[in-house]
Amino acid sequence: MATIELAVLDWAIIVLYFVAIIGIGLYLRKFTKTGDDFFMGGRKNSSWVAGLAFLSANLGALEILGWTGGTMKYGMFVSHFYWLGAVPAMLFLGLYMMPFYYSSKIHSVPGYLKLRFDERTRLLNAVTFAVMTLLMSGINLYLMALVFKVLLGWDWHVSMWVSAAAIGCYITLGGLMSAIFTEIVQFFLIWAGLFLLSILGVMEFGGIGNVMQGLPSTMTSLWATTGDASTNAMGVTWLGLVMGLGFVMSFGYWTTDFLVVQRAFSSKDLRSARLTPITAAFFKMALPFIVVVAGMVAYKLVLDPASGFKLPPDPSDPSKLWNDAALPLLIVRYYPVGLVGLGITALLAGFMAGQAGNVSAFNTVWTYDIYKAVINKKATDAHLVWMGRMTTVVGVLLSIGTAYLAMQFNTIMDYIQAIFSWVNAPLFATMLLGMFWKRTTSAGAFWGLLAGMIMSFSIFMGFRFNLIGPELAGVLTLSATPSDMTRNLWQAIWAWAVTFGVTVLISLFTTPKTDAELVGLVKGMTPKVDEGKVWLLGRPGFWAAVALVVVIALNAYFW
Amino acid sequence: MSQDTEGREPLPIWFFVGVILAVYGVLVIAGNFMTSRPTVLSETRPGLWWGALMVVAGGIFTAIGVVAHRKG
Repeated sequence: MATIELAVLDWAIIVLYFVAIIGIGLYLRKFTKTGDDFFMGGRKNSSWVAGLAFLSANLGALEILGWTGGTMKYGMFVSHFYWLGAVPAMLFLGLYMMPFYYSSKIHSVPGYLKLRFDERTRLLNAVTFAVMTLLMSGINLYLMALVFKVLLGWDWHVSMWVSAAAIGCYITLGGLMSAIFTEIVQFFLIWAGLFLLSILGVMEFGGIGNVMQGLPSTMTSLWATTGDASTNAMGVTWLGLVMGLGFVMSFGYWTTDFLVVQRAFSSKDLRSARLTPITAAFFKMALPFIVVVAGMVAYKLVLDPASGFKLPPDPSDPSKLWNDAALPLLIVRYYPVGLVGLGITALLAGFMAGQAGNVSAFNTVWTYDIYKAVINKKATDAHLVWMGRMTTVVGVLLSIGTAYLAMQFNTIMDYIQAIFSWVNAPLFATMLLGMFWKRTTSAGAFWGLLAGMIMSFSIFMGFRFNLIGPELAGVLTLSATPSDMTRNLWQAIWAWAVTFGVTVLISLFTTPKTDAELVGLVKGMTPKVDEGKVWLLGRPGFWAAVALVVVIALNAYFW
Repeated sequence: MSQDTEGREPLPIWFFVGVILAVYGVLVIAGNFMTSRPTVLSETRPGLWWGALMVVAGGIFTAIGVVAHRKG
């Protein structure tokens, strides 16, 4: 395919973005002095700021491109990843888990594991999380360079080094606050730069009804085709969806992944911290109006040869069409000069915010949970800030190294994309038991977590090297020929179940901590925090109920 | 977040969001008057009304940021 031509004005918009984010980093530098400033954003953010950052840390360009393309394959099922696979977990985090996280004044999720269990459980999670974030950051960088190389003809090396240098610069200067500011800017740029595509697409067809008209029911329903795995494009039943996506993967990611939870820790008080994921849930619900609508418009355009809308071959497998190119091709179709620059800047901002989120989470976990916990226990606050800045630079360089590795060995992508279910799914079982069952012991948590991680990795390798036949596949996934998506869902379910089971079993035969040691860390052992007299519209419970009603209504409407 | 030597808090994020949206809105409107390759629905002039919306939204956010900063 021919690359997208950018006019001088489009370039000006892109360059202005770099100037703005580095300028923000320079401005915030003078306000970033203590460890709390650098790693926790000063703990002074409102629920609006922390909530938008919480959402944006997850809202990368990969998600936008991937789910727009995914809609062309799975139809409205993609909405499950927002309405089922995110919102309930975000509400649960805000209502039930945040009080334990926030009140213990920890710097990170591994920090909670240290307080609740012991140093070895913290270290196990800190090391796996640090490796995961660096790998994810590198993959994000690699995919950004790939997308811009294919679509815009930009040089690989320039794309990667320039964006990585900008990220390294503004995080080194302003720490988490810089990351949060740029994430919020990115959130608005994504809506300003990409939502117009859905609007223009619907306008071209003369209404949303015309876009949906003629599409098969598998494309336009959420639940009606989930009774049998063979009747929907994702090849999954409602049980796999609810347990795998709606419970284990979703709760595993949104309630334990420090990359997103760190944003809530930056809140000014407990009520704001609880409202953080609840506020984010409303914006998360709205995202299908960009990705799903744009994906359906692209799908309809591809079906009509007269539209002139053609997808290019997939760069990693030229025998297939590249669905992920749908969104940039809609930019070419609808956007004039200026808007093209805005759309590309939105994607660029999405890619860069994704990397920045990983790097800022990495520098915190390295500094507090590995460096201070193991290497230099007497480090001063000033020294930790210095270490955080140095770690940022090292993290960015390691991300670039991972990106080059992915460029050389494409199969590494398969491993890295599965890493979430190795790390987050088992951790969710550990957290759930740790926060809600006081009998959970340190030994149970450590060995359960390790067992779940090994289980998840073993299933992944079994499928990867065809060691799992149809019979065993049927037992593990309820399908003799599971799709990649189904494998991922069930891999997470098994990892969670093994962690849960092993943790309970070992806990029953080992000695738990005393009640006094669990105050503030476990439900039932923690005095209820008096948040003062708060009127209805300021209560987390009220907004969580509203969000739940809205998400149920959306599911019912698109049943 | 620490206060700087003058005891001031940093400008709120809404100020930066507002300025960026407003400046980009102006540039998008300017693009509407430049020669461009043919696009679908170009007759609806999306750059013009979308850019205007961005300028308005940018103005509102900038004002919110300034007011919030003055209140301290």
